[in-house]
Amino acid sequence: MASQGSEYAIETISLTKIFRDWWGRAKVIAVDKLDLKIEYNEIYGLLGPNGSGKTTTLKMLLGLLHPTKGAPFLLGGNGRDPRINERIGYLPEDSYLYRYLTARETLDFYGRIFGLPAKTRKSRIEALLEMVGLTGMANRPVGTYSKGMARRIGLAQALINDPELLILDEPTSGMDPIGTRQIKDLLAQLARRGKTILLCSHLLADVEDVCDRIGILYGGKMRVEGTVESLLQHTDEKQIVTSQISTAALEQIRNIVEREAATCRISSPMDRLEEFFIRTVTAAQQQGLATSGAMSTTKIGDFLREHAVKPDILDQLVAAGAHEDNQAASESTDDELTETEAVEPQADTDLLQSLADAGLGAPDTHKVEPRSADEPNPAPPTETVKRDVLDELIGRSEVDGGRTEAVDPDRTGDPQDA
Amino acid sequence: MHSVWAVARNTIAQALRMKVAAVVIILLMVLLPMMSTILVGDGTLQGKLQTFVSYGLSLMTMLLCILTIAISTYTLSNDLRRKHIFMIVTKPISRFQIVLGKLCGVLILDAVLLVIFAVVIYTLTMFIPRLADAPEVQVKQAADEFFTARAALAVPEDKTEIEQQAWEVYRKLRDSGQLPPEMTSDRVLSELKGHQRMLSRSVPVNARKVWEFQNVRVRDPHEKLFVRFKYEVAVTPIDDKIHGVWEVGDTRQFQAGVGAWKTPIARVMRSDATRTMIEIEIPASVIADDGFVGVAFYNPSLNETTVIPEDVELLYRAGTFTANYLRVIMLIALRLVFLAALGVSASTWLSFPVAFLAAVAVFLLGMISGFIAESFEYVGGISGLLYDFTIKPLVWMLPRLDGDYNPTRFMVMGRLLSWGFLAQACAIMVFVKAGILTVFGIWVFSNREIAKTVV
Repeated sequence: MASQGSEYAIETISLTKIFRDWWGRAKVIAVDKLDLKIEYNEIYGLLGPNGSGKTTTLKMLLGLLHPTKGAPFLLGGNGRDPRINERIGYLPEDSYLYRYLTARETLDFYGRIFGLPAKTRKSRIEALLEMVGLTGMANRPVGTYSKGMARRIGLAQALINDPELLILDEPTSGMDPIGTRQIKDLLAQLARRGKTILLCSHLLADVEDVCDRIGILYGGKMRVEGTVESLLQHTDEKQIVTSQISTAALEQIRNIVEREAATCRISSPMDRLEEFFIRTVTAAQQQGLATSGAMSTTKIGDFLREHAVKPDILDQLVAAGAHEDNQAASESTDDELTETEAVEPQADTDLLQSLADAGLGAPDTHKVEPRSADEPNPAPPTETVKRDVLDELIGRSEVDGGRTEAVDPDRTGDPQDA
Repeated sequence: MHSVWAVARNTIAQALRMKVAAVVIILLMVLLPMMSTILVGDGTLQGKLQTFVSYGLSLMTMLLCILTIAISTYTLSNDLRRKHIFMIVTKPISRFQIVLGKLCGVLILDAVLLVIFAVVIYTLTMFIPRLADAPEVQVKQAADEFFTARAALAVPEDKTEIEQQAWEVYRKLRDSGQLPPEMTSDRVLSELKGHQRMLSRSVPVNARKVWEFQNVRVRDPHEKLFVRFKYEVAVTPIDDKIHGVWEVGDTRQFQAGVGAWKTPIARVMRSDATRTMIEIEIPASVIADDGFVGVAFYNPSLNETTVIPEDVELLYRAGTFTANYLRVIMLIALRLVFLAALGVSASTWLSFPVAFLAAVAVFLLGMISGFIAESFEYVGGISGLLYDFTIKPLVWMLPRLDGDYNPTRFMVMGRLLSWGFLAQACAIMVFVKAGILTVFGIWVFSNREIAKTVV
């Protein structure tokens, strides 16, 4: 995007941070000569175990910490420049909100710092409150919120200026699965509008679901970097998912496979726990059960969508010469998506319902190898994760991409990196 | 500007919901009316008024100062400690705007509270005479000496002359070899100076001393002048009374015959107790056309002792009570501005308890700044250059809160706080000292690592 004045949305040049003790002796090398390059309109996942330098990197990008060596650039400028801050949204690793302000006052405060005119501010606050499902509790002090609810407000404040670049540190920590899913959907939507997102997390499932490209930090150094697919796909294995078929047919298939001298496993696919959870909660909501917690709407603030058709963003998208073919891909996704979105207002059970429906109606698109029930918590070995994802990717690409994409559109972003 | 305002609003909300402000408000709302009825002073109406205003203003000033220090040191350091600041500095706002926003928030809150309590104290003060049912004499005294804003003129001591005389005596003693051998020459000199000072002030029997005042201007020739003094004596008379003849007017006319006087000279003979402040009232028509007023004291032989009239001042009405009260409130506002700047500045690099203690320490030192400045001046005379570049600027940075800068003094004595004095205090305390502190705070805050964890 030529107009941005820089090739990358985020760029660090040999960024180094050494924490010293009182005597000036180097104690910890938190970030070590990191060269990070994140392009515009990319969802980048920064992964790593605790203490690997993720948050330190973000803090240096935002000017909260001074780099020991090297330089970070945000949108081609300094993270401390108010003109740059105007265009970014940041959610820290914990929602550091004023406990004595209500949700509405909190958003109003940040809106005022951005100098949003009163009318815009009001409408955006309402839209955001609705989006994060806290309209009913908007006049309660944030100090009385649960962690997940505070997280939602944190996310809302990061979006109040409709930022070009979102920097999210563990956005889903403390969130219920529906909230997590919403955030993932939101991120995908924002990305389709040409936003750049830097996501920092150790919840691998989240990163895997939404990110175009990931990098894994360890000891302040980048160990692996690449597109999710290139990193996770087992190109030497194939998976077939079928609807109910006879044992005889299965035997035949096994024979064919064995004739090729390949191995073969056969089992019934399982739902992902996430889908199952969302279905259950939707059912409860349909029965009108009372809750004092967050409501799960998946409405996305109008102002965050409105601009999608704004010429400047379209221009930017078109101007992205380097990404011409992804362009085509994401536009086609848009078409598919409008369907889902269009249903959302009239079917007053909203997007969540459609998510659940998709889960119910299209089990065959999701059939995967059996796996342990603790799937949404896939912190441990990369080996397992890889297998799961591989299965899923194959299951999807080979059977029916269209319907899944409508529900889980972030996947469709992948072609651009393929 | 909008971002400064956003931070200021949030600071006010923080202070209000911290309930510190609420405690101060309730405390004052209960204590002030209570004080207005309970305090009696010396039993006279003026005494009651003086005691109420003195305690009321002092209490309000003290509480507001502590409140200012508490909020100003808390707000920014708390944002830093609880990391609220992460979400603010990453918004389009400069660091200096955050500091200014915090400062503005504290000042707006201060201004509101100060106005509220100033009005409360003023109203109560105005109601005291109506409720007191005091005799006519006391009402008049209160009107003359309390519900007024009088300018006070005093004749400054001629230090150089006293020193010269002391030297002369010293030289004489030295030449004649009469210096006491057990004393250092410095000691002898200072004793001599004290002696000379006493001599220059004392009036022996049958002698006359004249104090000359220039530029005495009253707004209305029907106004009154007041001569204020206190008698000290060498030997206390049996009845503790001193007889005195006071002549006030254009004393330069004494050379001319009585018939040639252009302006009258008032002559008052009276006997008064020693060691108490006395005020005598003189019509303002005695003032010479060029604004000259001489005050002469004659010590009649009746007294049989040397009399030392101390603190001789010429007072005249130079403004209204209400306008003076307003300026006194502004003087209080100046110290709040200073303290707010001090607190915010300290909290940019110190954690809350440390910044609070430091600010309170500075505040308390400011309350005795005159004494401190004097004692360091003495040390400074000895230690020289090192002192000039280290302690002297620090002592200078201390706020001046005592002596001439003590707001209640003006009210209790019905003294005029002139606009000129206020402007000068404002320039030094706000524009220079608070300005330096704020700039320092902004500099520190702009350069520090916000996310740095200090263990």
